[in-house]
Amino acid sequence: MAVAQAAGRLAAPAPRGWWRGRAGVVAAVVLAMLVAYVVWKNSLTWPASLVWNSLAGYLDRFQAWLSNNRNVAHPNFAFSVFNGFANFLDHLVSWLLSFFNRLTWAGTTALGTLIVLRFGGVRAAFVVLAAFASFAAMGLWTESVQTFALMFSAVGLSLFVGIPLGVWAGRSQRFSRVITPILDAAQIVPAFAYLMPVVILFSVGPGAAVVTTMIYAVPPAIRITALGIRGVPPNTVEAATALGSTRWQVLSKVQLPLARRMVLLSVNQTILFALSMVVIAGLIGGQGLGDSVTNGLYTNPALAVLAGAAIVIMAIALDRATEAMAEHSDPARRHLTEGKKLRLRLFTAACAAAVGLAVGLGHAFHAGTDWTARTAQDWLLQHVQRALDYIQNPSTFLFRNITNPIGNFVVQHGIQPLRTFFIETPWPATMFGLVLIAFLLSGRRPAIVTFVMLAVVGLIGEWTNAMDTLSQVLVATALTVIIGFVLGVWAAESSTVARILRPINDILQTLPQLVYIIPVVYLMPVSGVPGVIASVLYAAPVVIRLVQRGIENVSHDAIEAAESFGATRLQVLAKVKIPMARDAIMLGVNQGLIMVLAVVVIAGLVGSGALGYEVATGLQRNAFGVGVIASVAILALGIALDRTTQGRGRVRRELAE
Amino acid sequence: MTAVADIAEPIGHHVDRNGDPLIRVAGVWKIFGRHGNRVVGTPDADLPRAELRAKHGCVAAVRDVSFEVWPREVFVVMGLSGSGKSTLVRTLIRLIEPTAGEIEIDGKDVTALSGADLLQLRRHTSSMVFQHFGLLAHRRVIDNVAFGLEVQGVPKTQRLARAADVLKLVGLEDCADYFPDQLSGGMQQRVGLARAFAVDPKVMLYDEPFSALDPLIRRDMQDEVIRLQYETGKTMVFITHDLPEALRLGDRIAIMRDGKIVQLGTPEELVGSPADEYVENFVRDIPRSHVLTLRWIMRDPRPGEEDGPRLDVRSTVRRAVALIASGERPVCAVEDGQVVGVVDREAILTAIAGESD
Repeated sequence: MAVAQAAGRLAAPAPRGWWRGRAGVVAAVVLAMLVAYVVWKNSLTWPASLVWNSLAGYLDRFQAWLSNNRNVAHPNFAFSVFNGFANFLDHLVSWLLSFFNRLTWAGTTALGTLIVLRFGGVRAAFVVLAAFASFAAMGLWTESVQTFALMFSAVGLSLFVGIPLGVWAGRSQRFSRVITPILDAAQIVPAFAYLMPVVILFSVGPGAAVVTTMIYAVPPAIRITALGIRGVPPNTVEAATALGSTRWQVLSKVQLPLARRMVLLSVNQTILFALSMVVIAGLIGGQGLGDSVTNGLYTNPALAVLAGAAIVIMAIALDRATEAMAEHSDPARRHLTEGKKLRLRLFTAACAAAVGLAVGLGHAFHAGTDWTARTAQDWLLQHVQRALDYIQNPSTFLFRNITNPIGNFVVQHGIQPLRTFFIETPWPATMFGLVLIAFLLSGRRPAIVTFVMLAVVGLIGEWTNAMDTLSQVLVATALTVIIGFVLGVWAAESSTVARILRPINDILQTLPQLVYIIPVVYLMPVSGVPGVIASVLYAAPVVIRLVQRGIENVSHDAIEAAESFGATRLQVLAKVKIPMARDAIMLGVNQGLIMVLAVVVIAGLVGSGALGYEVATGLQRNAFGVGVIASVAILALGIALDRTTQGRGRVRRELAE
Repeated sequence: MTAVADIAEPIGHHVDRNGDPLIRVAGVWKIFGRHGNRVVGTPDADLPRAELRAKHGCVAAVRDVSFEVWPREVFVVMGLSGSGKSTLVRTLIRLIEPTAGEIEIDGKDVTALSGADLLQLRRHTSSMVFQHFGLLAHRRVIDNVAFGLEVQGVPKTQRLARAADVLKLVGLEDCADYFPDQLSGGMQQRVGLARAFAVDPKVMLYDEPFSALDPLIRRDMQDEVIRLQYETGKTMVFITHDLPEALRLGDRIAIMRDGKIVQLGTPEELVGSPADEYVENFVRDIPRSHVLTLRWIMRDPRPGEEDGPRLDVRSTVRRAVALIASGERPVCAVEDGQVVGVVDREAILTAIAGESD
């Protein structure tokens, strides 16, 4: 009683309504934009006088000038060097391809399987063997080997560049400070936006494919290697220094051996990133499975699905194999004694002999470069086609009651109204609304960056397309965040759900971006829907993981304290766990946006329209100027979205550590 | 309070104070922060830590420290965490660059050494034992012990033979092929000791080597250090935050606080006459009779007292108690066969009684 009276005497602060907080202000901004939409609908489109119309022409002329100067009989020095590099890349791929061909299919299979057996163990070797067998069975052996050649060229070069830089970044604070923002920036750029500029420089071909892949795959190599070097216990390094090791001795005898597992994990990530890109690189002259997919999407859907399945198998096999190799190689856990070393050496020799034998047998029996004997391709294509026919048949139950309604719903209640809203709202209202939201969520500098990026989009004449893409991105992100939040919280609360989700997330996270689009394109062929659904599938696993980890990382003491006051499980969740995991959830939104954008633009290939479509046509019809402009708009949109949702700096720094 | 048994019992080594000191440290400063070197020599250097940080944005870890360590001496630096003791020991071989001051080890001016000469110093003159062991997880125990020799470029068979010998010295000859994570903490630190001994250094530096270990194992390891010191006669600089450990091992002890040495002396001097309240608080719980020797409490013998029971002058007071209790006569303190003083009942009781103040 006394307490209550005392409390009554104090002037209790009035309860603050939710509308007074930041969420309320953001809602007010959105409301203002809606008002602007209703009142001045369609009255103020981006003015033609504010568009730099001649830009596309300049870019086309630049490309023509470049290709003319490169292809003259005696190019000048700069172009000779450049040509030399481009030729080297082309040759690297074809050399690797002819190496695989010389091994014959038997030798290639033996080499891949036995390397994994020696360094990764039996289970991973089985996965690899099964993958080889399935490529043969699908009749996609040649395409798979081409993809391999392309990918390993790119991976080799990426590691050649990435690992030394990673070691440097791991050892030098100063270099790390220089390179981290560059790596961060590289992470926001959608892979699809790299293609055009590279094509302008290198023209279509394997060389261009390797370069695009490298741009995408080098950053993870640097990042993870640096993390590994930094993860070596400092007292070990200090002890080695105190005993008089030179810097080189510290690196070679202490840091590199102890970071070996992480360096190999960086190889794993580099391979997965490279594979992801190699598939897209099918668009710019990378031969192989990616080519089969991108061509098949228009001409032979069943083959595209089959090639997509081959890519999935390849991604899983490569992931398992390299991860197993990384785990097996951890020198701190292997406990290599002299006896074990000897046995391993014998094993290596046996494996090498077996590969030699396989190559010999392959040549003796004229196995040839391709598995030609009997494949199940026709049978598979037939069945895939039948399945495609079924799901696309308007009279089936699936189509009538599930896919079509969902697709239509997403279009009618998501993409279409949002698209109209963004395109028809007067551009100043949209622009300043978005900048204001960026300011409210992330602060002054991100708001300025957002403003500049949106202005760039408008100036290069892509405002309408960008707003179209933005509406697709927002719909997909909303779905991603809802799914990611619900499943993430659920997985954090229930170990059963976590156990079920884990393998699914693992697989979804290893797949190349393009693969997500393939099934959806046939399942829900309604304008922007494939892109939206595919990007949700692509981005949701990451959001689920971030939310789950954020909630699991909430300090146990805080939860215990809440429980000791008698909070129910739901109260603990709503009042302690979710608020304390807010930064992780915000990061989930941010990452989700970036990942969704990457896939939504790729879906431009299959009728999502907007910016992705411009890039796709640019690539397919050699309209360089238009393609580059759309790429720049994608990049600008990506940066704007990232800055808007980056939060107030806290999030990134904490999770980066 | 753990019992401190016979801390100052002679441990069979003779500090050689006749020649030159092996380590000479004069006016060493370490100030972390960008403009640390500008502070040294100005009145600001004496500011308390928080004020210095507020004014210059830098942290003074070591302030104007000077001492000398003689051959075969065990020199202990004791202080609480943050007192700068670990930084100090690192500046000795420039694992951390000192901001100012002179450091001389084995006649070499450490602060002036070139990179290559510094490596030679670290390889041949000194070696260090670390709090968290700093073992190489990817190498066998024997390869860990041989690491210092490997870095020097000693051929493999030779360095492994030497490492095997040293492993025997620390009693780990059966664990040569194990890996560090297969050993207990105490055994891991024995590997750390062996690694430091393997290069046969003149100076051993210990940075809180036993603070990560359980109390019982810590005692074993202290015994081990005492034994190794007795057998090999190394000069040691030993960092600890544990006063009983300091008293047990040290010939002389420097007590550090806020980067400064507040008192430097023998265990007896610290316990018998603490320089200030800070040191007094530290040594208050130490049983004086276990630390003070007869030399500390004896007086000149009066005629006729020289035929009492005899005891070495370096014995602790505790040892004299039994003799005093069993007879009437005062105990004679003996050095080199000569009676140098006597200790009577009253002196002993005073020494013991001092504990309960």
